[in-house]
Amino acid sequence: MTPGRTKGMGPYLLILPAVLLLGIFLVLPYLNIVLMSFRVPGQGTPYGVGFTAGNYVKFFTDSFYILQVVNTLWIGLLTTAICLVVGFPVAWQLARADMKFRGLAYGLVLSPLLVGIVIRSYGWTILLGNNGLINRTLLNIGLIERPLPLMYNALGIVIALVHVFLPFMILPIMAAIQGVDPSLHAAARSLGASKTTAFRRIILPLSLPGIQAGCILVFVLSLSAYVTPSLIGGLRVKTMAVTVVDALIDTFQWPFGSALALCLSVTGAIAVVIFARLTRMKWKAS
Amino acid sequence: MTEVSIEKLTKTFGSARAVDGISVRIANGEFISLLGPSGCGKTTTLKMIAGFEDVSGGAIRFDGQDVVNVPAEKRDIGMVFQNYALFPHMTVEQNLAFGLEMRKVAKPEMRSRISRVLEMVQLTGYAERYPRQLSGGQQQRVALGRALVIEPKILLLDEPLANLDAKLREEMRVFIRDLQRRVGITTVYVTHDQAEAMTMSDRVVVMFGGRIAQIGVPADIYERPENLDVAQFVGQVNLVKGTVREGGSDGRCAVETTFGVIEVHSARMHAPGTAVTLTLRPEAIELGAPGKGAKGTVLSSYYSGSLIDYRIELEGGDIIHTQAFPHNRFADKERVGVYAPADRFWLLGAAA
Ligand SMILES: Nc1ncnc2c1ncn2[C@@H]1O[C@H](COP(=O)(O)OP(=O)(O)OP(=O)(O)O)[C@@H](O)[C@H]1O
Ligand SMILES: [Mg+2]
Repeated sequence: MTPGRTKGMGPYLLILPAVLLLGIFLVLPYLNIVLMSFRVPGQGTPYGVGFTAGNYVKFFTDSFYILQVVNTLWIGLLTTAICLVVGFPVAWQLARADMKFRGLAYGLVLSPLLVGIVIRSYGWTILLGNNGLINRTLLNIGLIERPLPLMYNALGIVIALVHVFLPFMILPIMAAIQGVDPSLHAAARSLGASKTTAFRRIILPLSLPGIQAGCILVFVLSLSAYVTPSLIGGLRVKTMAVTVVDALIDTFQWPFGSALALCLSVTGAIAVVIFARLTRMKWKAS
Repeated sequence: MTEVSIEKLTKTFGSARAVDGISVRIANGEFISLLGPSGCGKTTTLKMIAGFEDVSGGAIRFDGQDVVNVPAEKRDIGMVFQNYALFPHMTVEQNLAFGLEMRKVAKPEMRSRISRVLEMVQLTGYAERYPRQLSGGQQQRVALGRALVIEPKILLLDEPLANLDAKLREEMRVFIRDLQRRVGITTVYVTHDQAEAMTMSDRVVVMFGGRIAQIGVPADIYERPENLDVAQFVGQVNLVKGTVREGGSDGRCAVETTFGVIEVHSARMHAPGTAVTLTLRPEAIELGAPGKGAKGTVLSSYYSGSLIDYRIELEGGDIIHTQAFPHNRFADKERVGVYAPADRFWLLGAAA
């Protein structure tokens, strides 16, 4: 190899391991899923001989599955929105220079990530169940007469997902706010803006990239969440991810499960693209 | 237009005094510089005037009105930050419009004021650009325009030229000074660059460790420094030891030095025989053949283009620095005559 060529190839050689890893463990399986989704359902075997579009026809013509997509999107949106509303003030406080006990607060924010997702979700079943801590307490102090339906419904799933994914909203927003030069706030004040106006007109728009990142992260994670919805939703409320696993593992329908999985991915991707379009920042584009 | 009066202004952070009882009156339309080394409290003073920093003690008055409890956004000041602090998500025009929107200025007037200011800072045609599409100097002018378009009572600038390269810095110095004269706005300018303070200001406030060391017109600060710190901070200075020969009650004092007997100004009486130190700026010195002035020996010389720097040992042991044009070079160890006019010597602490 000539020195010139080495130099030209260098950067590509550096990313080669990553490309191989992604290629072997992500792209190839994905291609396999695409292929699988067009296979004929098998009788007693995972799949039969030949190809068909029937799995997709089944998906698009059965209102049960369409409704489930809507449900899943709705749970994802709600989780994202609540995470944003709850997380933004926390991120703002954490990002402020004069905050006391920052280390402690930071630890609390990260704490959900330190415990495995299964354990956290079981924890929520203990809290949310009909015989759970919340209902028992409310019953005991006489605020309610019958247990509130907190488990086996979308509400319970959203509550648990918010808890699980909140750090993914807070951290990018915090980083974005920290990245905003404090003198911009001072400049706005000197030009006659109150603290609130300076926040609304300067800090908020400039932390938009973090808000965007946080929303996309939480939304995508919520769509594909399996453990939490399956534990809290039980048999009654199912999200797409739960149904996909049901199809693949419980009922052994590999082709249909693959089609479902792809529909879930594409739906998520479309939602993310629409969201990114809506929140595009003109000043960042070159 | 506004007169600013600062009285015994103090700022403490914990037990540290960042600003320690400074008092200064800034006349209407005056351009005043706060000059001092890093950490001497310049920015803190400016922030207190702007209202970004609470005051620990003392008063700040705009036209006689105490503004200490007035929030920043109500003080009607224009501020230019060291890093410009332009809003990156707004175009030049939107940056300029921000302050006007806060003041609820009507759209047509807003437009005409913005275009007037853009012309003033020579940025007509850049209205639609975002800050990152501008050079450092252009961003600096937008920041200046943004501060001026609201027609504030006072203009505050915190080391606005520190991030520019040397050539642009000199251009902007002249630019800002001219603009300030034309607009006639009371201006407080923070810098640690003595040349900047000297060339731009009507008066300079020299600060050390949170206190004011001297206030005066640039020539006062440079030629008649109150103490050694000031003398050394505002430029190269030579120290000449001397002995008082006659203390004089008439504000004069005769001092015996290697340059002969020099009569200097002094408000204070000095007993004959007292040891004193005189300052002498390098450019006041003339080198020549031995005979005229003090006797000296060249220790070393450094060529620096238009001038040559000499280090010279005087007969009494004082070592002085001076510069001379290259047409008349002196070799190392050569004996020279060192002459300086008597009125260029200055007795430190003369005013005390
Ligand atoms: N928020 C703060 N908390 C504690 N100390 C501070 C704070 N702000 C400034 N100081 C201290 O006050 C002193 C003066 O700071 P200031 O920023 O006014 O200096 P400066 O003259 O502007 O210096 P420079 O030329 O480096 O900008 C410094 O010793 C600094 O460490
Ligand atoms: Mg400073």
